[in-house]
Amino acid sequence: MTALALAPAPVFPPPAPAVVLALAHFACGLNGMDAGRTTAADYSALIGAVAGTRDRAAFGALFSHFAPRVKTFMLRAGANAAQAEELAQETLLTVWRKADRFDSGRATAAAWIFTIARNLRVDRLRREWRDAAGDGEIPEVADEAATPDIRLAGDERNARVRSAMTQLSAEQARVIELSFFQDMPHAEIARALGLPLGTVKSRIRLAMNRLRDLLEDLA
Amino acid sequence: MTITHHPATDTLASYASGSLDTARRLVVASHLERCAACRRAVGDFEAVGGAMLEDLPPAPMGEDALAQVLARLDAVAPEPAAGTMNAHADLPACLRSCTLGSWRWIGRGLKVRPIMLPQAGGTRLFLLKGAPGARLPHHVHTGEEFAAVLTGVYTHEGGRFGPGDFDEADETTEHTPVVTADAECICLIALEGRVRMTGLAGALLNPFVRI
Repeated sequence: MTALALAPAPVFPPPAPAVVLALAHFACGLNGMDAGRTTAADYSALIGAVAGTRDRAAFGALFSHFAPRVKTFMLRAGANAAQAEELAQETLLTVWRKADRFDSGRATAAAWIFTIARNLRVDRLRREWRDAAGDGEIPEVADEAATPDIRLAGDERNARVRSAMTQLSAEQARVIELSFFQDMPHAEIARALGLPLGTVKSRIRLAMNRLRDLLEDLA
Repeated sequence: MTITHHPATDTLASYASGSLDTARRLVVASHLERCAACRRAVGDFEAVGGAMLEDLPPAPMGEDALAQVLARLDAVAPEPAAGTMNAHADLPACLRSCTLGSWRWIGRGLKVRPIMLPQAGGTRLFLLKGAPGARLPHHVHTGEEFAAVLTGVYTHEGGRFGPGDFDEADETTEHTPVVTADAECICLIALEGRVRMTGLAGALLNPFVRI
């Protein structure tokens, strides 16, 4: 019997080319040679690899990029360090579990992971939740209800969103940042900024309409 | 039927950022189930959330965090066990895992059915059913009210509201909704604070009507 015949058969199918590319980018980033080159499309491909072949290397790459950012997101929402660590881990576990529901034609990888982190934050960190007399699962809003219709491919959309965001005024960017990261209802944002509620609402309304106009213009 | 009344942009932004309480979130979600235009808006706002998430400075994870998570992967079921669904197949999908109370009479032609939420919070969620032609007493709000029409049609000073339409009111709103004569109307309502009835009939009802 030859040595060749003894070689174990490969257990996993070879990864798709897009995944190889994404992992190559990731590896380059790790070596400091090409940091920041991993694109939105690559992260989408990594989620696809997790869904398709349960690819652990792809999952590791997603984890390294997103878990530390989700941890910051949780810290800013009022989690302590241990909670933030746990919720970041859980967000990525949910990515593993629900990877087959991700549709790169509908959302960017970052937007999808943001919605997972946001839902966990609402379920676990919310004051109304801590004050609850009883307990139970918060009803989950159907994924389909929250996803937009197919428009731009994920990576292109990501670039356009970023370009649009740079065009907001500092005040507009500030209210948007508070509403996304501090888990503050608009009334609390108004108190924090010492502004009337109506001003905060109209500022958010103007900023979001501006963003959407810019996205349409770019489309 | 065409949807003509939508949530305000800042309400959709609050939904996308996760800062609505559960009752309000579910009323918006039931509108989104029927409204592609608002789903697109929410998708755009979630893309903004994603871009902002990526721009956050990373907080170092525990040394063995990835190893811990890799070890947990096999224990994770690919699909979560389906939650228990209630028997109300006609409700919006977002309410199918909720427990419903019983219908309760609150006035001529009007019934409410509470929807139990795990959080106490200051906002309650309920279905309001009006018989054909039913009229809500003239009332004012002490907080915000979100309503989504599930079936039927009502009208008030702000227009005509049919299936899928979304109606927002706050402390400054005084209105007198009337159900159209041809069919009963069922709405999903998130109500912050209380409703105060005005006028003589309202004054008489106030002590009894706890909506």
